[in-house]
Amino acid sequence: MTDPPPSAKTPSRLARLRRRLSGAAALGAVLIVVGVGYTAAASAGTPGGARAATQPQDSVEVRKGRHLYEEGCITCHGMILQGVQNRGPSLIGVGQAAVYFQVITGRMPVARQEAQASRKQPKYTPEEVDQIAAYVQSVGGGPVIPGGNLRDGDLAEGGELFRINCASCHNFAGRGGALSAGKRAPELTPATDKELYGAMLSGPQNMPVFGENQITPEQKRAIINYVQTLKQTKDPGGSGIGRLGPVPEGLVIWIVGIGALILTILWIGAKS
Amino acid sequence: MSEREGSQREREMSEREGSHGSHPAPIERQLDRMTPAEAMRAGAELDGVHIVHKRERFPVPGTKAERRAERAVALCFVLTFVAVVAFTVIFIAAPWHYSLTDNSYTWFTPLLGLTMALALAGIGVGAVLWAKWLMPEEEAVQDRHDGRSPEVDRQTTVATLVDGWNDTGLARRSVLKRAFGLGVGALGALAIVPLGGFIKKPKDELVSTPWKAGLRLVDMGGRPIRPGDMMPGSLATVFPGVPGGLKAPDAPTMLIRLRPGQTVQPRPGQEDYGWEDYVAFSKICTHAGCPVSLYEQQTGRILCPCHQSQFDVTLDAKPVFGPASRSLPALAITVDADGYFVAKGDYREPIGPSFWERP
Repeated sequence: MTDPPPSAKTPSRLARLRRRLSGAAALGAVLIVVGVGYTAAASAGTPGGARAATQPQDSVEVRKGRHLYEEGCITCHGMILQGVQNRGPSLIGVGQAAVYFQVITGRMPVARQEAQASRKQPKYTPEEVDQIAAYVQSVGGGPVIPGGNLRDGDLAEGGELFRINCASCHNFAGRGGALSAGKRAPELTPATDKELYGAMLSGPQNMPVFGENQITPEQKRAIINYVQTLKQTKDPGGSGIGRLGPVPEGLVIWIVGIGALILTILWIGAKS
Repeated sequence: MSEREGSQREREMSEREGSHGSHPAPIERQLDRMTPAEAMRAGAELDGVHIVHKRERFPVPGTKAERRAERAVALCFVLTFVAVVAFTVIFIAAPWHYSLTDNSYTWFTPLLGLTMALALAGIGVGAVLWAKWLMPEEEAVQDRHDGRSPEVDRQTTVATLVDGWNDTGLARRSVLKRAFGLGVGALGALAIVPLGGFIKKPKDELVSTPWKAGLRLVDMGGRPIRPGDMMPGSLATVFPGVPGGLKAPDAPTMLIRLRPGQTVQPRPGQEDYGWEDYVAFSKICTHAGCPVSLYEQQTGRILCPCHQSQFDVTLDAKPVFGPASRSLPALAITVDADGYFVAKGDYREPIGPSFWERP
């Protein structure tokens, strides 16, 4: 019983060491949790801020897209897609659908500020459009145009959906029409399947948005099938006169038809 | 001699002779000796028509030129026959059914029009050429008097009318006059009374719609709508979820989800009609009843395609442009226990255009 100290000393040193180690481990764990949590919170709070600098895990497409964005879009849509007052809206959350539609149809970049951006020769190649869209999607997220065949829907259902949702602005034959204050619904003639899908999904400019829960993907494909079929069909009465309906038809009858009659009458009168 | 002098001379002459035409009528014995051509001339003279000259196009009949002209006219009528045959064949045999793959049906209507036009043109051109190429060339002048009719004609005409009126005796026989008026008036009622069958007194269909409290808002496919179904800045046409609701003409309603930042200034008494960022308005224009669904999601304007009325959603669908004078009626909506949109009741005011008894 005279040498308990060493035997007692050894366990007490071991216990101290163990306490220190566990303390360090706890501190480390807390630090890791706080660090990870802070990073997550920071990236959730300011998505653009955290992702504006290209991350090493970003794909080549996104990096190229970011490059193109910083060359052509940043002036109006801002460093982190937040938008610039009186120049361009925020692109956070608009998604690949909106970017694809706006850039592939040449509406973006706009030439000038006016009532509405018009379709024109696109500034970017399809690959570049996909790269910009991938970049905007990677930063802000949002709806994405699905791949595959976008035209395999039911034709009759597409027609019914088109007439109730689209025809009021785009005309029953997809030829577009006027809106207020210089704005207009464009004609659908030059639109591709993917552009039609993107337009419905993103609601460009003053067009209402038709989300995937309001008009399901199957219904959207049906509408696209109907629109593209409508464009291919020929006019059974000869000339469609722009397919704008009774107004141009009446105009042609009155000006061309009655005009020809009057000229004939004048000619007969001059002959005798 | 100018036309004016000629007609003046004519009037003097007719006044002197007391009858039209400058030639005395042929007596019966002369008529018997006349050829048909001479009799026609004499008749024309009696009516004041002078045939200045009339000659055959081909004085020698049967020349080559005449036969050529005749053949050309005949060809026109044959063309009509051929065109009618072609029309019939096309009508019966040509493809006219709509087809996605074969476009030949698009020729059906134009070909019918073309053959019909050819058939009509053949008859028309043939008739004109017949008259111009084959019938005799004729020039005739008809006497006309200037100004009003001679005094004799005027006074005798008035006397005839007055005499006829006196013969009826209506001025004296007042009973007959009234009875006649009664009978003829009743005859008019015969035409008007059956129109009464068209008149129907509307019950309450002008002031009520199928919407009722608790009715779900369904889309065209009959699917009820949840708040999560629509994106901000979207519009859906919805109907009352009852049998026949899809076809009710006064029920179509626009369910609109506003964009972030857009707010509605409600009209008094309609403060609780919307549900969060959703509002619902009648789709029937208050001007002429057209469907208003040209929605501009950024400006929040609803346009009517018929007469360009514009309604501002942010002002509770108040008209801001065009002929419409009343706001689109708002439908009060909420979300039921199952999470679907339901109406809180019928529209508070009649939908669609104004009518006489509109309160």
